[in-house]
Parts: sequence; structure tokens; C-alpha cells
Amino acid sequence: MSEGHLILIIEDDLQTRRFLTSSLKHRGWRTVEADCGKTGLAMLKSENPELVILDLGLPDMDGITVTRRLRQLSDLPILILSARSQEQNKIMALDAGADDYLTKPFGGGELNARLQALLRRVSRSFVSMEIFETGELKVDLTRRKVFLSNNEVHITPIEYRLLTILIREAGLVVTHRQLLQEVWGAEHIGDQHYLRIYMGQLRHKLETNPARPRYLLTEVGVGYRLSLS
Amino acid sequence: MLGYVWGVSAPLICTLTIWPLQNWLGPASILMTYLLGVFLVASCYGRGASMVASLISAPVFAFYFARPIFSFAIQDLENIISLVVMMVVANVTGNLLEKSRLQAELARQREILASALYRLSRDLSDAKDQDAVACIAVEHIRDEFEVESVLLIADGENRLKTPASLSLPISLADIDLTRAQHIFENRKVKKENSNLYCPLEGSLAWQGILIIHANMPFPWQTAEQNAFLDTFCHLIGQTLERLQLATKAREATIQAETEALRNALLSSISHDLRTPLTRIIGAASTLIENDAGFSTLERLDLNHIVLDEAQRMSELTGKLLDMARLSSGEIILHRDWNALEEIVGSALNRLDKHLKDRPVRTILPDSLPLLWIDAVLIEQVLVNLIENAVKYSPAGNPIDICGKTEDGYCRLAVVDYGPGIAKGKEIQIFDKFYQGDPESDQSGVGLGLALCKAIIEAHGGVIYASNRVGKGAEFVIKLPLHEPPQVAEPETTGIMS
Repeated sequence: MSEGHLILIIEDDLQTRRFLTSSLKHRGWRTVEADCGKTGLAMLKSENPELVILDLGLPDMDGITVTRRLRQLSDLPILILSARSQEQNKIMALDAGADDYLTKPFGGGELNARLQALLRRVSRSFVSMEIFETGELKVDLTRRKVFLSNNEVHITPIEYRLLTILIREAGLVVTHRQLLQEVWGAEHIGDQHYLRIYMGQLRHKLETNPARPRYLLTEVGVGYRLSLS
Repeated sequence: MLGYVWGVSAPLICTLTIWPLQNWLGPASILMTYLLGVFLVASCYGRGASMVASLISAPVFAFYFARPIFSFAIQDLENIISLVVMMVVANVTGNLLEKSRLQAELARQREILASALYRLSRDLSDAKDQDAVACIAVEHIRDEFEVESVLLIADGENRLKTPASLSLPISLADIDLTRAQHIFENRKVKKENSNLYCPLEGSLAWQGILIIHANMPFPWQTAEQNAFLDTFCHLIGQTLERLQLATKAREATIQAETEALRNALLSSISHDLRTPLTRIIGAASTLIENDAGFSTLERLDLNHIVLDEAQRMSELTGKLLDMARLSSGEIILHRDWNALEEIVGSALNRLDKHLKDRPVRTILPDSLPLLWIDAVLIEQVLVNLIENAVKYSPAGNPIDICGKTEDGYCRLAVVDYGPGIAKGKEIQIFDKFYQGDPESDQSGVGLGLALCKAIIEAHGGVIYASNRVGKGAEFVIKLPLHEPPQVAEPETTGIMS
């Protein structure tokens, strides 16, 4: 499986790196490791990886700075690993350009699913698709129509824009800030209640039980994620 | 002054009264009348006035009543003797009266001082803390001496604490603290400029300093008044000491309680951490030792034990971390407008694994307004409550989550169909480290509900538990509603073209 995608792991804890490497190798990925931010940034140039797994608690640089530097150098997908006490940092890193996060501790399966979602976005952008489908939900992106179990659902332009952004990032978290900025513009970044109201409407139209959604998942305090079942 | 006016007028009044009756009265009766006048003056106005009265009475009597009349000469020996006796009697009674009058005055002053001290000690005994003592002392000194003052209290290291400048009278707003500290350390009463510094002594240590501001001369000059001020200071010093000792005792009790709590926590945590650790170590070491001897299925089984127990530990440490974070200081809320539906959805999603075999019924009306809350913390509350419902009701039984608005609050209930809460424990279960049944396998550290309570109360809400009439427990949180902001550009509800 040597032709597997190359992942750069930036993580200071040796045991975590060992677990990540063996778990990823087993699933067919190739890995290179860096134990601090500086080495990680250097390896980005020398190794030319396709994906980065970045731990937020590095000894030499904080995760947000590393994310920013990585973004300056390349637009490859970044997956953040965060501890529970780093909620605020996690959101800042996502807004700084990271693509998704995993909260420690996590299992190999979860990690793999996230990496797959990240790669999918890179390889075949959902926006360029004609039809997006997950579970009973079908979105015809050329005709701009939404179907649930093949019945058309009428949604408003704003709801549709929210939905397409989530489809573009399907399987990945999209922060409140990103959604607000893309749909309402930079001046509405603080108006989270806009999101609550429109996401609520969208849930009520697309979910059988909006209080236990299947597609439009809430990541409390972070954003939303369109689930790929 | 009035006394001397009476001293002069009393003999004249006597003369006018007796004059028409002189033909019927003997000289003894007339002199007795004058004596009465002198006596009355003495009893009312003291010795000076009575001396004046008696000195005037004598010549007036000689002039008007003793023969020869209208002359100061006196013919009869009897009249001379009577006059001398009257003078002596007048003088002696005057002296006696003066003495008793002074004593009465002294007693009255003492009574005033005693009652002032009584009032002070009564008020001081009501004081709850040292700052209250400072207020009371200043007030009483203002009442008794009509001067402004300030009380500086010393801390544990004998340093005077700076008082809040707002509570100071203007005349004392610029006291030199260094100077006060210096005098306090010398332990001697000192007059300086227009301030009087009185260090306050307790029975064990010096407690502070009272600084009195008055323009010279100070109103207390006599030994009596000085002693009074001394007693005042002594009383204040004693009270300060009493309160300081009480605070120390209270702190010691709190520390002992914290210690007990910490021990309870430690034993509880070590139990809860050791159980999964024992299983993990057991399973993992078995796997390593007999790697070849196990079938794939057996190996998988042991691996599952490791994973499950590690996840249990992860949850537990997560809760401990939360509790440590929340109890290490004030809870900092990152509030924003949030939909309860999303938070419930996310909590259920997080607990997906635990809820596999359970129907969860959510009843959340569309009309629920947005809440001004910290979504991450409220989600944690919901996760804890739902987890509890799972833990304490038999597998397969449903769990209900119902929300509604109720007079200014959003009321959210998590209902299970288990055996309910033990009677009388409805409040206790929210205590830190409370455990339903210490022997039960279901024991957590007893932090979950305490955590919930802390979070909900930080939001200005309430949380309580009760048993439902049928069967099962109901946990209710009530969060205050806030006026949600308007959406600036409401979208036309029209269908997309």
C-alpha cells in the first residue's frame, strides 16, 4: 500500500504518535512524524504530505500559529487534535483555517472517518457534483432542488445556501463564523441567532425528528456538520 | 449667673413678704424666713449663690426689722445671736447641699458614661465582622464626643489595612498611614497636630488604631474622660480580637471540612479509577502473556474490555476535570443565543452508544425561544442528566425529554421510568460526592449532579429533582428567558425559484 496518501503527524507525545502511525499504516496511509511545530513546518516543504494531523498542545508553538503558518504555505487539509480543556483554542484554530477536529481521546475508526471526509473534499469537490446524496436526503445541485425520500422539499434561498456550504464540507465541521461570513457577510459574524433560526428551519424541513437529527448535526459551541452516513 | 440673681433677690422677696406682717412676727420667725430663702437658693444654685443670699439677708434684717429700724445698728442681744446663728446655719446647709449636688452631678455624668459604654458594647456585640466594628466605633465616638474618627484595623502581620477612602470623613481623608503605622507599633497614645492616635489592645495582640480628629483643645481633659476614652478603646480592641479569633476558628472549621471532602473525593476517585484500571491491566496482561493460546474471538473479547474500561475512565476524568475547572473559581459563561433543540440533539448524539436500546421521546415545541446560555455547559448538564436516567432505570425503558416555557423560564425535564429517587434524598443528590448506594456498581464520583447544579445556578436558573406520581424520577432545569434579538432582514418565506 505504498501508494497510500501521505500524512504529516505533528504531535509531541511519543505514545500518541506511535498509536497514530500504527493505526494509520494499518488502514493504508503513509505517515511522517514531527514532534514540534518547527519540524512540522519544515517537513511540510520537504515531505510534501497530502494531509496534516496537528496536535494543539505543542511545546514550541501554539496550535493557532502553526495552523496559520501551514495555511500560508499550502491549502492541504488540516485535522486538529484537541484536549477537552482547549475548547476555545480549537474554535480559533478552525477559524484560522483548520478543516476539522477530533477531541482526545478518540478511536482509530473515528480518525479514519475524518481523514476520509477530508480527502473526499480535496479529491472530488461536492460542489462540482450534480447530485449530492446521503441517506434519504438528495440535493440536485444543478437544478437547486432538495428531496427527502424522493419528495421535493421547498426551502428558502438562505436555507439553500447554508445547505450547500455544508454539502461542500460534507462530513466536516463548519464553524459558526464560516457560515455567518459566507451567508450573511463579515458584518454579521457575531449574530449567531441568525444561524440558530435558519438552521432550525432547515432541520425542521429535513429531519424526521429535529431534536435527534440524522443529517444536520450540531457541534455545540463550534458549528455544524453534515453527516455522511 | 442666674444663681446670683436669685441670691440677691431672695432676701428682697423675703423682706417684701414679711414687711406687712412685722407687727405679728417675732425676730426669730423673721430670721427663719430669711433662712428658708437662703436654703432654697443653696439647694437650687449651690454655695456661691447661697453665700450672697445670706450676706444680703443679714444687713437687710438689721435695717428693716431689728431695732432701731431703718438703721444697720442692732440693739437687742437676742437679735444679734439669732442673726449669727442664721449666718452659720445658712453657711453649713449651703456647704452640705453643694456637696450632695456635686455628687448627684457626678453620678449623672457617670451614668451617661456608663450608658454610653453599654450602648457601645451592645452594638459591638452585634457586629458581624471587623469592618462593622470600625463603623460602629466611629459612629459612637461621633455621638459621644462630637468628633470624627477613623479606625484602622491591623492584619495578621501587624500592618494597618488601608480603609476604603469613601467611608472616611473629609477631615481624615488624608491621614498619613506611615505615621499611623509608626505610632501603632509604638503602642502609645499620641497627640499630633489635631489628631489623637489611640492604639487598640486586645488581650493577645494589638488590634488596630483609632485616630480621632478634633480641633484643639480636645474635648476630654479630665482624668474621668480620659479613663472613659480608655475604656472605649479597650472595648473596641477586645471586640476586634474576638471577631478575629472567631474568623480564625471558622476558617479552621472550613479547612477541616474541605479536608474531609478531599478525603471523600480521593477515596471515591481511587475506587472509581482503580476498578477500570484493574480490568484493563488484567485484560492487557492476559493478552500479552498467552498471545498464542487465544482464539480470535477471545482476543477480541479481551480487547473490548480494555476499550470499554478505558472509555469509562476517560468519561470519569473528563468529569473530574470539569469539576476542577468549575470549582477552581467563578464559572465563566460564554453565552450566546442558542436553540435548545440543537443542544438536546447534540447531547443525544454524544450519548448514542448508551442509548442504543432505549426509546428517547423528545417533546420540544417549535415555539421555544432562543436561550441566552453557554451551550457547551448546558450540553454537559443534559449529558449528565440523560446519562443518569440511563444508569438508574432498567434497560429498554424509555427516557422523555420535554421542554416548555413557563412564566419567564424555559423548563426542561428529563424523565426516566426507573425506581425513582430514594425518599428524602431529592436535595442531597445535588451535593458534591453524594452517592446513592456506595456499594452499588453504578457509583460515579457523585460529581455529575453537583456539576449540573453549579452550571445551572451560574445561568441564574434552578435545577431540582422529584419523583413522578406514576414511577420514575424527573429532573427539571429552569433557565431564565431573555428577550431575543430580532433578525434584521427577515427572509421572504417564498419558495426558491
